[in-house]
Amino acid sequence: MRTVRKIAMWAGAAAVLWVVKASLGLFVVNLLLVYVIVAVGLNLLMGFTGQISAGHAGFLAVGAYVAALVGTHAPQVGAVGALIAAGAAAALLGVAIGLPALRLAGFYIAMATLAFGVVVTEAILQMDVWTGGADGMYVLAPSLFGFPLDSDTQKFWLVLGTAVLAVWTAQNLAGSKVGRAFLALRESDVATETLGISTAAYRTLAFALSAFYTGVAGGLFAYVVSYISPDAFSIELSIDFVAMVILGGMGSIGGSIVGAALLTVLNQYLAVLQDFKALIFGLAVVVCMILMPGGVSAAWKAALERFRG
Amino acid sequence: MFWQLVVSGLATGCVYALVALGLTLIYRATEHVNFAQGELAMVGAFLGFTLHVHLQLPVWAAVLGGAVLGGAVGWVCELAVIRPAEGQPHVNVFIITLGLSIVLKSLAGMVWSHDEFPFPPLFSPRGVRLGSVVVTPLNLGTIAVALGIMVGLFAFFRYTRHGVAMRAVCENPEAAQLMGVEVRRVYAFAWILSAGLSALAGALIAPVLNLSTHMGAVVIPAFAAAILGGWGSFPGAIAGGMALGVIENLAGGYLAAQIKNMVPFLVVLAVLVARPQGLLGEREVRKV
Repeated sequence: MRTVRKIAMWAGAAAVLWVVKASLGLFVVNLLLVYVIVAVGLNLLMGFTGQISAGHAGFLAVGAYVAALVGTHAPQVGAVGALIAAGAAAALLGVAIGLPALRLAGFYIAMATLAFGVVVTEAILQMDVWTGGADGMYVLAPSLFGFPLDSDTQKFWLVLGTAVLAVWTAQNLAGSKVGRAFLALRESDVATETLGISTAAYRTLAFALSAFYTGVAGGLFAYVVSYISPDAFSIELSIDFVAMVILGGMGSIGGSIVGAALLTVLNQYLAVLQDFKALIFGLAVVVCMILMPGGVSAAWKAALERFRG
Repeated sequence: MFWQLVVSGLATGCVYALVALGLTLIYRATEHVNFAQGELAMVGAFLGFTLHVHLQLPVWAAVLGGAVLGGAVGWVCELAVIRPAEGQPHVNVFIITLGLSIVLKSLAGMVWSHDEFPFPPLFSPRGVRLGSVVVTPLNLGTIAVALGIMVGLFAFFRYTRHGVAMRAVCENPEAAQLMGVEVRRVYAFAWILSAGLSALAGALIAPVLNLSTHMGAVVIPAFAAAILGGWGSFPGAIAGGMALGVIENLAGGYLAAQIKNMVPFLVVLAVLVARPQGLLGEREVRKV
């Protein structure tokens, strides 16, 4: 039964991607998969340890610029090397943010990370010698084991492979010792500490891991859009990420995937509506939160329960 | 130069303080963090502007009317999107207020367009020399109005039935309910008062920034001010707002002009790293 359900879910995901491709194009599919990685990474932080980050666009920016710079100055390392560098750079910053955040609770972490996100874009603007400042920079097509990836289709396979790997890792992590420590932290950090689990180590690890995911996604983002500038990584984007996780359901990996897909597609369809876009987007967030407090995943579980009677 | 920057910084700081007070009011009464506070200020200022331009009301009456209408908008928001989410975790309500801020901004754009409008100042912006410092009646008036509101708020909490009821709900909603306080009415009232205050703040800063739908961004320095002063503390919101206004102006004057926009964020990071409880806040004790 479980394998059947798993196969059904993967088939469903493939069908959704195909529909999105047919209606909005492969570029949007690639973008959607990048956001799936971000949402899953952010969920490791928010859903598992209960720390809200309102600055993940900052980590995405770090990843994107590191991957772009590696591509320009050291193209021989290829896409895999550049993506690992992007993730590692973001993870280092994640530790740097996670350490002071150890002293903070809830809403304060959200504000600190919000500030971090803005400081990152400002730093990119100031370092214009490398980053091109407000003019942005073009991203060279990456190469995977010597093969250049310059079409959307080739990039799709790179993004898809990374996304599947990211989701699979997160799912396994959720059931591991680390994942259980994260969940314990979310429930009560004092109680967790008394059980002999180092809250400091695991909270920092959660930040680093979440930043790594987002950094890698940033590198892929750079490849997909092939031109990056600081204003692409706004507070609004960070908030979209938070909305993806909450809408999908905190702590549910599957939920994050659905949340990322929903918001990306919604954003694309609303783009033609111009003035009404923001209004409908805002209303959708409000109404979804009121009607489905636990996100899509909780609503789905409730629906299944009712179906079984 | 120094005192010049301090005086005009204090005027901006007073506006931050008013918005921060609005944030603190809602937080203390309902424990919710309202991201739409800046949009409430913006909508209130636009309502005042409309009263002035279309109904030809004198500026002071238009600003007061804008505050009343702004309070009404706050009430509608509370009824329409906050109350239905009663009992949900604070994170969820935070996301709802995020959505609300997007909705308010786009609605305002549809009604008034996203252009900038010159807002008639309540007081003359023409400078008067006081020793070596040039002060404008606008600066002094802004400071005076803000201080007056703060004294009024203090008296309200201290001496009126509504104020005492509100403080009781802050302390313990369940006990207050049992004592016969209508907790829901207090929540609604907190939103009305908070939105009205923010509308006034919006009208005070609009002559300086020009009136536009982007004015909602004032919520960011207001958050920074409230955190600097100590999150959840009323005197902290006031002190933090004024301090932030002055720091921002000094940094802009002595360092680089671009750094001015970064000040709120750097202040938040510095405070949270060095002294998370802020200037006047109390240290949080966490329980199991």
